[in-house]
Amino acid sequence: MEAKRTLRLVVLTFAITACGSSGPPSRHELIDSRDNYDPRSLDPALSTDVPTGRAVAYLFDGLTRFDPRAKVEPSLATRWDVSPDGRVYTFHLRQDVHFTDGEPITAHTVAKSWTRALDPATKSGAASFLFPVAGAKDFNGGKASSISGLAVRDDSTLVVTLAEPLAIFTKMLAMPVAAIVPEHPAPDFGEHPIGSGPWKLVEWKHDDYLLFARNPQYFAGPPKTDTLRARIIAEPSTAVAEYESGNVDVLEIPADEASEWEEDESRKPMLMSTPALELVYIGINTTRGPLADVRVRQAINDAIDIDRVIERLVSGRGTRAAGVIPPALAGYDSTRKAYPYDPAKAKQLLAAAGYPKGIDIELWVSMTPIYQHIAETVQAYLNAVGIRTKIVQRDAATARAASRKGQTDMILKDWYADYPDAEDFLYPLLHSANRGAGGNISFFANPTFDSVVTASRHELDETKRDALYRTADSIAFAQAPMVFLYFYNELYAVQPWVKGFVPPVIFNGQRWLDVTMQHSAK
Amino acid sequence: MSWFILRRVLLAIPTLFGVLVVAFLLLYVAPGDPVEAMLGERADSATIVRLREQMHLNDPLPVRFGHYVASVATGDLGRSYITNRPITEDIKERFPKTLQLAGAAMLLAIVIGISLGVLSARRPGGLVDRFALGLAYLGISFPVYWVGLLLILLFAVTVHWLPPSGYGSLKFLALPALTLGMRSIAFLARMTRSSMLEAMSADFVRTARAKGLSEWVVTLKHALRNALIPVITVIGLDFGAYLTGSILTETIFSWPGLGRYVVNAISRRDLPAIQGAVLFLSTVFVVVNLITDLAYAKADPRVSYE
Repeated sequence: MEAKRTLRLVVLTFAITACGSSGPPSRHELIDSRDNYDPRSLDPALSTDVPTGRAVAYLFDGLTRFDPRAKVEPSLATRWDVSPDGRVYTFHLRQDVHFTDGEPITAHTVAKSWTRALDPATKSGAASFLFPVAGAKDFNGGKASSISGLAVRDDSTLVVTLAEPLAIFTKMLAMPVAAIVPEHPAPDFGEHPIGSGPWKLVEWKHDDYLLFARNPQYFAGPPKTDTLRARIIAEPSTAVAEYESGNVDVLEIPADEASEWEEDESRKPMLMSTPALELVYIGINTTRGPLADVRVRQAINDAIDIDRVIERLVSGRGTRAAGVIPPALAGYDSTRKAYPYDPAKAKQLLAAAGYPKGIDIELWVSMTPIYQHIAETVQAYLNAVGIRTKIVQRDAATARAASRKGQTDMILKDWYADYPDAEDFLYPLLHSANRGAGGNISFFANPTFDSVVTASRHELDETKRDALYRTADSIAFAQAPMVFLYFYNELYAVQPWVKGFVPPVIFNGQRWLDVTMQHSAK
Repeated sequence: MSWFILRRVLLAIPTLFGVLVVAFLLLYVAPGDPVEAMLGERADSATIVRLREQMHLNDPLPVRFGHYVASVATGDLGRSYITNRPITEDIKERFPKTLQLAGAAMLLAIVIGISLGVLSARRPGGLVDRFALGLAYLGISFPVYWVGLLLILLFAVTVHWLPPSGYGSLKFLALPALTLGMRSIAFLARMTRSSMLEAMSADFVRTARAKGLSEWVVTLKHALRNALIPVITVIGLDFGAYLTGSILTETIFSWPGLGRYVVNAISRRDLPAIQGAVLFLSTVFVVVNLITDLAYAKADPRVSYE
């Protein structure tokens, strides 16, 4: 792996010196290089991964959508009324929207679409995002034959009753799983989708590319470029080479290469940075042996010089975490100070917890090279204060399964937001309802924290909700159910001939509507 | 000859059955949950339990194995847990691309490797021989991704002659085929050389020369043909290996073949896809070996299967 990285740097250095020869290309097609594996399906109901989620955003519409800065905007719904108790949402839909096969989208289509996503026979992994709708969970579990919370008032009005108030419900409707599909999708719909979105699928060559053409009938105005190609490039070095050759327009720069790009003057103008809604952390299982003691968990946080880790191993492209809410989201508290690097204090805390001779723990990590480097560094820091750490390396699926079963002391991993809200960090990662498979691999169960998070989910007033988020986050911070590492800031390279591309904060926030290319004179 | 083929085909059945058993058991003991992989990060536990039931993953192992064997026997490899596409369709789409890459790599290896071997053997220690030796060292000791990325760097990024990656016309095939074939070029060159040297010192070559045949006729017609048996073995083994294991090359060059499919399937615990692909690739390997054996007889009349 080390040799591979070295070679990547060689490629990069060479490419820098060779650069400058290529002007704007003659093609009239935008080419994206960000997908590194094939989407699993283009059926919104089956979308659980980033390449699928991106493509679904091109092909379909939901009642709401995210802009590149992750703000919720109206989409198929022009507006909505919320009842005073926060449980009933009345959505007013546009009446002028059709699928590319000419079928209109009405409130019936919306209800049918969500029913399909929740149908147990669909086997959707993302159905839980629609569980806030009253009766949805029972329907999905096969305990009800219809969804009590969905009512079509007329063609353009849908009334949705929630099981309990949920302030962020409209954000969930911008998720791929809530996108609207035709009422009678063909059996191979995942392969040959029909949507209403800004792009139509022309061709999908598996593991190679997806080709999209603009939908001239798109209700919000068609994209400004004719075609968009999403190439699937498995190897990051290859994506870099394609970018250098001018064959792709947008590149996500691998974290461990960021500084080489940033230090090169000729490349600086191409770079764009965006705060990704991604937390990198070490989940500490709060039920295992000495880790059940909060002092031990704090000691672990104190023992690691995280600023240095960010500086050296992530090219400084991380914002130090002092809680689980990223700086880009409401509820982030910029005044909270992260755990300082203080090995002496870590030793004191360990002794106070009854472990003057230290403890033995395992740190699990997947095969991602950058995480392996971080794990090795963390191991050295922990060993230095008497927390004797053994690194266990497994492939991602194995590590994830073990952590969900509670078999890992600590695991280094990341968490990407599904929708841009602090709730998507607090609730899945640390609420006791999500212990294990739900995402809370710390098995953290703190009644105060739980009640504050539950209250925040119900609170409709934004200011009060943000205050509750801050409170919950500070409880979590003090209880240290994880090592708070950093929030990653993504670095993009965008070719100089591409105009209007804004790196999205959330994965499905960039639909290439306003992106154009300048062409060579040839 | 046809008896030989029939016997080999019949023998392949227990071999493939063994492969099936091993693939099934290995995946059974491997950690990682297919249902969790299928549902993604945010699946709730109730859904996981329900789906496990629905997909018969709670059935006893022999029952599951029985079902699987029964459907395989009818040619149905099932559907992918992740994409819900039929595995046979997936294989049909990708295998021709892997075959194309492996075929091109092998062709390069045969042409370049054997030529270098023959030329080296004609003048051991000469310029060609030393060049071939150097090339062989490089080909054998350089890891595939290293060669692949260097080729991309040189031919695509620096001089812009060829595209860095992707699938398409011949120009897309050149770099991955060379990368994949590098090891075989090296092996074949060395193998042909030593085998040729042995043949060239044999009595029948002296006889051929004594008959007054030209040096080229002696080399190519008499010596090379006799030297081919070990070379064919290497070609057969390598070709089989390329058809089943060009994973790194396919990854580096974004070549949409079966290798990447298998890797994706493994990382997503897509059991039917892994089992289907392993079974298919084992069959391919068996077939390639059979063809290799038949080729011996073609190359050397002394080999007989009657």
